[in-house]
Amino acid sequence: MVLSFAPACRIARQAQNSSPVIRVFEQDGAGNTGRVRGHMAGFSFLRRESTVAVPSYSRWLIPPAALCVHLCIGQAYAFSVFNLPMTRLIGITQAAPQDWTLTELGWIFSLAIFFLGASAAVFGRWVEEGGPRRAMFTAALCWAGGFLVSALGVYLHWLWVVYLGYGVIGGIGLGIGYISPVSTLIRWFPDRPGMATGMAIMGFGGGAFIASPLSVWLMSLFSTPTHVGVAETFIVMGVVYLCFMMVGAAIVRVPPPEWAPIGAGAPARATRLITTRNVYVYDALKTPQFWLIWWVLCLNVTAGIGVLGQASAMSQEMFRGRITAVAASGLVGLFSLFNMAGRFFWSSTSDYIGRKNTYFVFFALGTLLYAMVPYAGAIRSVGLFVLCYALIFSMYGGGFATVPAYLRDMFGTRYVGAIHGLLLTAWSMAGIFGPVLVNYIREYNLSRGVAPAQAYNITMYVMAGLLVIGFICNALIRPVRQRYYMPGGEGELEAGELEVEGAAALGRR
Amino acid sequence: MQGSNVAPRTSAAGNGLKLVLAWGFVGIPLLWGVIQTLANALKAFR
Repeated sequence: MVLSFAPACRIARQAQNSSPVIRVFEQDGAGNTGRVRGHMAGFSFLRRESTVAVPSYSRWLIPPAALCVHLCIGQAYAFSVFNLPMTRLIGITQAAPQDWTLTELGWIFSLAIFFLGASAAVFGRWVEEGGPRRAMFTAALCWAGGFLVSALGVYLHWLWVVYLGYGVIGGIGLGIGYISPVSTLIRWFPDRPGMATGMAIMGFGGGAFIASPLSVWLMSLFSTPTHVGVAETFIVMGVVYLCFMMVGAAIVRVPPPEWAPIGAGAPARATRLITTRNVYVYDALKTPQFWLIWWVLCLNVTAGIGVLGQASAMSQEMFRGRITAVAASGLVGLFSLFNMAGRFFWSSTSDYIGRKNTYFVFFALGTLLYAMVPYAGAIRSVGLFVLCYALIFSMYGGGFATVPAYLRDMFGTRYVGAIHGLLLTAWSMAGIFGPVLVNYIREYNLSRGVAPAQAYNITMYVMAGLLVIGFICNALIRPVRQRYYMPGGEGELEAGELEVEGAAALGRR
Repeated sequence: MQGSNVAPRTSAAGNGLKLVLAWGFVGIPLLWGVIQTLANALKAFR
């Protein structure tokens, strides 16, 4: 059984031991036995070598495998549906003095996002070197485990247990799960890396669409006149997510050596080589390109996330009497759909026009759109407001989905997942900057007597200014210097990787 | 000759089935979620 999962390993059974212990010995290319890896042979099916695809395997099975993970961890965006029910776990119909407050509960999501960025940065190399199955498996255990621990916290009414469960353990699952399929998708789709990663990251945006109605339905199912039903909902969701993510871990494969897509080529308009070599994960940190892309992502996300949380209030205050609270919630749902669709649309478009050009579009068009929002408010045009916001949110999502392919263009495929993990700290930073900036400017304006309808105008201009800085950062990105590439064969293109040619003018290296 | 074509054909059919199952597994819940969201958005505008 073990042998069938570990063809590259030699298994030795210690016959003299009463309880059989299986040891795994690594073999090098010449068949020499290396060091003992430990007593983990039972988990050898998780190893990268065990996930090499057979020749008949279709690469179109990889996006659903990635979606199995991303659709589940995308639940994080829908966590707010638990906030109000969790403020009346004791009071049931209304909050009791011993109940948790919204401010206390707000830390759960913040912790999860913080640990997403931190774990993606810390475990990136581990994910890259261990292969996608081990990472997905671990992410599934952490994500589902986080739900189960949180259920215990809700049951015992110990908030720190919920912080530990969803915030820390679940957050680690988020980070590992988010980056787990990235490099695998890029290796399977060297001709369309943007589209491939866009499909997975679209799933992260779409996960909330499933989780939100599912959570509400489950809570209604488990609630009684004396019970809110949050703990049971957490348990069911944890179990469902565990099964769903395990399916992804089971079907994911890495391409065999020398594999290349049959008949696939670069997009028709592609003309120029983008990358031929690889940069080691920690060497990427020494390059200006990494930090410029870090700022590109951070500024794009800061602008988007800042207005994302305020979209409902902003629309109601700017169009008082025309957009009600109910209509505003519908608008937020609509914007979320654009956020999700933009992830696929813009990342796929980047395969044709180049990553750099795609970000130029985000920053140039984004600046124009942010600057137009106050004008839409001034002329009381709801249609123009909705159009501006829909495009802004599509580009917010597009920024997330296009960045892995941008990293691949710059640093090669080998450590792209790990480098992407390090880059996600930009997201964590933006998650703090964006909302703080928007709230602070609004409060400042209101304190100076500015009418609520105009209180967001300066915010919009500040966001437009951030995008101008992002435009400059993007313009400064140049090819990585030779000295940063991995030496010898390690720096060459890996098997299964095509020399993808990039697009026109500004997107070229 | 005929016999030698059976394996690739079976393999292609098997792959096709796997693809349908895998995409259905993720696509159906996602579509359901999108429809729910759209329905709520439209309800809000009425």
